[in-house]
Amino acid sequence: MTGNSQANATGATGLVERAAAAYVAGIGERPADDGFLGPASVTWRAGADLSAPVAGLRALLIQALHPLAMAGVDQHSHWRSDPVGRLAATSAYVATVSYGERAAARRAAARVRRIHEHVSGTDPVTGRRYAAGDPALLLWVHAALVDSALAARRLFGIAPSPPEADSYVAEMVVAAELVGVPAGLVPASAAALAAYLDSVRPELARTPAAAESAGYLLDPPGLDEDVAEIWADIAAGVVAALPDWACEMYEFSPEPLTPARRTEIRQALGVLDALFIGEPGVLEARQRIAARVRAARRG
Amino acid sequence: MSQPRPARWPLLAGAAVAAGAAGLALLAARRGAKNARLRHGADAGNARLRHGAGAGNVRLRHGAGAGNVRLRRGAAALHLVARGGARYAAGAPRLFAAAGEHRERLRQDLALETAQDVAETLGAMKGVLMKLGQMASYVDEGLSPAVRRTLARLQDSVPPMSAELAAGVIEAELKMPPERAFARWDPEPIAAASIGQVHRAITLDGRAVAVKVQYPGIAEAIAADLRNVALLRRMLRITAPSQDVDALVAELRERVLEELDYRREAASQALFARYYAGHPTIRVPAIIGELSTSRMVTSELAVGARFAELAGWPQRERDLAAETIYRFVFRSLYEVHAFNGDPHPGNYLFHGDGQVTFLDFGLVKHFTAAELAPLMQMARTLCVLGDPEEFRRAMVTAGFLRADAPLRTEQVVEHLAVFYATIREPGPLTIRPDYSSAVVRRFFDVRSPVSQYVAIPRSYVVLQRINLGLFGVLGELSATADWRRIAEEIWPFVRGPASTPIGEAEAAWAAGRPAPQTVSELL
Repeated sequence: MTGNSQANATGATGLVERAAAAYVAGIGERPADDGFLGPASVTWRAGADLSAPVAGLRALLIQALHPLAMAGVDQHSHWRSDPVGRLAATSAYVATVSYGERAAARRAAARVRRIHEHVSGTDPVTGRRYAAGDPALLLWVHAALVDSALAARRLFGIAPSPPEADSYVAEMVVAAELVGVPAGLVPASAAALAAYLDSVRPELARTPAAAESAGYLLDPPGLDEDVAEIWADIAAGVVAALPDWACEMYEFSPEPLTPARRTEIRQALGVLDALFIGEPGVLEARQRIAARVRAARRG
Repeated sequence: MSQPRPARWPLLAGAAVAAGAAGLALLAARRGAKNARLRHGADAGNARLRHGAGAGNVRLRHGAGAGNVRLRRGAAALHLVARGGARYAAGAPRLFAAAGEHRERLRQDLALETAQDVAETLGAMKGVLMKLGQMASYVDEGLSPAVRRTLARLQDSVPPMSAELAAGVIEAELKMPPERAFARWDPEPIAAASIGQVHRAITLDGRAVAVKVQYPGIAEAIAADLRNVALLRRMLRITAPSQDVDALVAELRERVLEELDYRREAASQALFARYYAGHPTIRVPAIIGELSTSRMVTSELAVGARFAELAGWPQRERDLAAETIYRFVFRSLYEVHAFNGDPHPGNYLFHGDGQVTFLDFGLVKHFTAAELAPLMQMARTLCVLGDPEEFRRAMVTAGFLRADAPLRTEQVVEHLAVFYATIREPGPLTIRPDYSSAVVRRFFDVRSPVSQYVAIPRSYVVLQRINLGLFGVLGELSATADWRRIAEEIWPFVRGPASTPIGEAEAAWAAGRPAPQTVSELL
């Protein structure tokens, strides 16, 4: 699937298929070790959480609000010509770092760092120079993802307890380190994460590129009507999970998340998850993770 | 419920479920709208459903295997009666020794440990999809590979309950732990059920039983998800845009909601068990009422060969098993006024010599005499009287055909004959694996000029599962019998003579039993 999918400018081509292939590839059958997080981690325990698509989309929307991060993606990645390929590559990377053995995670991170070496330029909006390898930008991308996973789980998945949220933020530090952020810079608790996000807010802006990519993610062109309605539920979940400041910047006016609406969004996520499970190897990969989590829990 | 609404003809429950499932696959496929391989696959599936020729009778081979059926006639009848008494021979002593005998490979290492695990696994629509998928999963034809895969995967995705979680359900229901409620309790489940699992136990008075235990919280989760009609409707509409999705959703909701309350299942099974008590080849495990509640059903334990094992049995055995299944379906319909809407291969156990145990009465539809009369009239006018005009009138009366349909009667008969192909003529006939799918294709043949004037009144929707389920199973067995003669034995308007050894044994059984009760008399 991943090899010969035709890239195109409009459709969300094979997103489920390619995300699934990436996920499966990241979870080996006979791993040499438990990777950087391991079966006792919050990440592994929440591995099959329904809220993951909301987390991923929310993270992208927040990341896009940093003009330099957005400019780097906009000017160097082929997201316009192959948006699904870009998303699939990101989910493959996240899966490998989260569940893969250490050597695989290191290889994937080294590859990302190599790509980043060639990504630099000037942001047309702010006129500032940027480089993708800049730890400050990498940290922003990292923090947005970690924060989004927690926010999405709180709204649509199994809400983490405060100690679990702290553990999650702390265990994810290694992921930032792998791509080149010095560990000392990376927030290691939920409070530190919130403080860090607040500290970056003065630098954020909704650039035209950010608005365009958000528009694409929330309403991908080329879906047919009924599918688009299901996607709209998930998009509503993403907007509901955004912090107020991000909604204001994007000029979204989120609908109130009533219990009934939350249920509907969870149901749409459930349908999406069912499709994901239907992809080859996904169920087995999940079961491998779940079995190791259970074994770790039993000690 | 409002006034029953007739659904369009293709809106049979089973196929509708398949359509819903296909909707899912299309969702996957069309999400990548330009993805050549997937899109092609899904559309091809549709094309097969809509444009396939429904020449079902072509697939039936007349005259095949005539000798097999009539084998060992008189002796076999006696033998069958004798075997009827030995019904639960495999009983308590072997119960725990036989661990693994028919134990499904359940992923105990992934067992759900808390009600929250259950909600995560089966909530958010996945229980609903799985339920619908389970109904459709044995109808191969018309489902694209992507749909089949998604449905099968969903069913595989539900791990068993941990021993503690299952024991917790028993304790909540019976106000005592399973070790006290039963003389012996096997904490490891022997089989998965769609929204529960089956444990073996021995009752305090020494009976070997199977206890179906429902996942805690699942009934509430599925009931809540079924309230989101909008999402169900959307999923169905994606593949079945021209159909009356509302009627379909209503019928599916009703059936699935019924299945969530195990008391209804227990009552249905008790009804069938009472009716078939002493039958020479049909076995229905008795219900232990005092150990059955809305979330657990306890019945006598049955041990036998699974459907898959039948593949290795001689054809003669397969034919006999098929005959028993066929008799069960139509006898139940005409005598008990009930139809088990889940004629799934997993719901039978086979014991040889045509003896079959029928399991799982979760999806039983009960009919009134008034609802059955038009069906009988249709079979009688077409197959017995051979009077096409009367047949047409009967269809109109039953609500299957619009009175003002501008069609020639031959067209109507030609279109619908496929549904009666097994019983229009006497003589041995082999039901081929693709017969059921040919019937399904006929339902979807929207190009036929007839299709726009035919409809299935809602109370008959579940009956269409005869075509999808029963004939699917008989086709899997490539079963040969003189189905017409068997039908004549059972048809109340013919009451024909026994036509097979099983028929003779059955006649002897029927002569000695009181008139059947209907469920309303029992409840």
